[in-house]
Amino acid sequence: MTNVLSVDGLTKNFGRLCAVNNLSLEIGAGHVFGMLGPNGSGKTTTLGMLMGVINPTAGSFRWFGETPTQELRKKIGAVLEHPIFYPYLSGQKNLELNATIKECSADNIARVLEIVELTARKDDPYKTYSLGMKQRLAIASALLNDPTVLILDEPTNGLDPMGIAEIRELIKKIAAGGKTIILASHLLDEVQKVCTHFAVLKKGNLVHTGPVGSAGFGAETVEVGANNSALYDLLVAFPGATHVTRENGICYVTLQEHLRSADVNRYLFEKGISVDHLLTRKKSLEQVFLEILSVKN
Amino acid sequence: MLHLLKIEFRKMYSYRTFWIVCGLYFITIGFSTATGMEFLKWLATLVGNFGSELDINRIPLYHFPDVWLNLVWWSGFFKVLLGIMVVISITNEYTYRTIRQNVIDGLSRWEFLLSKILMNVVLSAASVVLIFLIAAVTGFIYTPEINWKYVFTDLEFYPVYFLELFSFLSYALMLGILVQRSGLTIILLLLSYMLEAIVKANVDDFVPWLIPFFPMESISALVPIPFYRYAFQPIQDYVDPLSVAIAIGWAGLFNYFSYLKLTRSDL
Repeated sequence: MTNVLSVDGLTKNFGRLCAVNNLSLEIGAGHVFGMLGPNGSGKTTTLGMLMGVINPTAGSFRWFGETPTQELRKKIGAVLEHPIFYPYLSGQKNLELNATIKECSADNIARVLEIVELTARKDDPYKTYSLGMKQRLAIASALLNDPTVLILDEPTNGLDPMGIAEIRELIKKIAAGGKTIILASHLLDEVQKVCTHFAVLKKGNLVHTGPVGSAGFGAETVEVGANNSALYDLLVAFPGATHVTRENGICYVTLQEHLRSADVNRYLFEKGISVDHLLTRKKSLEQVFLEILSVKN
Repeated sequence: MLHLLKIEFRKMYSYRTFWIVCGLYFITIGFSTATGMEFLKWLATLVGNFGSELDINRIPLYHFPDVWLNLVWWSGFFKVLLGIMVVISITNEYTYRTIRQNVIDGLSRWEFLLSKILMNVVLSAASVVLIFLIAAVTGFIYTPEINWKYVFTDLEFYPVYFLELFSFLSYALMLGILVQRSGLTIILLLLSYMLEAIVKANVDDFVPWLIPFFPMESISALVPIPFYRYAFQPIQDYVDPLSVAIAIGWAGLFNYFSYLKLTRSDL
């Protein structure tokens, strides 16, 4: 089966600045692919090249195994950087225009406006919208032709917590429908919550790519609590622990890579301690991300 | 093609500036060409012996075939208004960055440019049709004796008028794409004739044969000044194939430059 997107050696130089350096990626169907990186790491430049607005200096990419054309772009819903619409047109008219450009039916407009909850404001000029409404209109526009691939660049930028949660739910819902989603963000939490795969860019270089779930997340931290004063000393003596700290009666144990919380539990039980609090803390993407960035420094 | 034009119309349909500028333009060329004779009559009542020294009804401004060329030449002055509209329309796409979104949404860069060029065609054609109708109607009103041979004389100035407008609008479009800022582009557009005149004045002494090849010069040379004929001087009452060729060449080049700039730059 062909990948939705294959990128091969994509490079973009702006004068002496290398914004994207020899980037190669594969994105499979149904992935929710997170593109991570600090500001200015080349995320938007990459997406701009994939969407035909930035001419690559070198390299190539294929959508659905085909050489990119504007006809293929019509099948992709994309919002890059910030929402872009004609300020003097209403939300409805903007979407009608986009439907004409994408050569898709205008019947979808009511449905996508409903999804992003803008139906009540659809006839007001775009320039009167709040930032959150603009963002949501952009997502509505990206969903307009029922695309198989959705590209979202910082979709929750400038939204309030409720709006962020809504967009997240929306992304999950869309992903559940089998669509491929490429999500660029510097909000790691966001990527961790919705993505299946991710890539990390740094100064235009790809420094990591892989699934979000398991691999690459290394050691676990386990929270252990027990009504026993010897707990801390026993844990320090545990050969599988690399680091132990104590806070408010709870011990935080960082394990060696191959060990799991069950191993801690078994060890303590053998020593005659039954724990009343045991919690596995997977490393957050944020920690992984910072690690990846600092290692390659 | 129709699809692209539809896109452009959707952009303009709710844009008030477009309707105001185009409205002003069409009203201005419409009224000023249609009421020339009435204006002269009013002038005659104002200036005591204007009418007696010069019988205005004997100035064949609106007689066939003079009316065709006269109205075309006169309305050609107002094309700069249309040019400003074209500049606003293209620089807006850069200011709002909608050109970027258009391409993301699935237009090719060439299709984007083509939609603008087609709009230029429509605006030029609308002007031609309007002036043609006004000239026909006023011609039939004011010509004392209709001679069908004269009615159909000088009609070749209408395709040439179209070329004059289209070349100028292509120039405005190119300027907008190159400069991308509306204010600066409009100033450059307005100064184009003057800047070219300065260059021409300097070039004139060395290579006078080059003069007809200047872009603004070639556009204005398409429709010659008709009024000398009322002072009994000879005028060029035919279309000069060389100036047509030069103007077509420039129109092609302007649009080609726009195409180059659009396809090579990052949006």
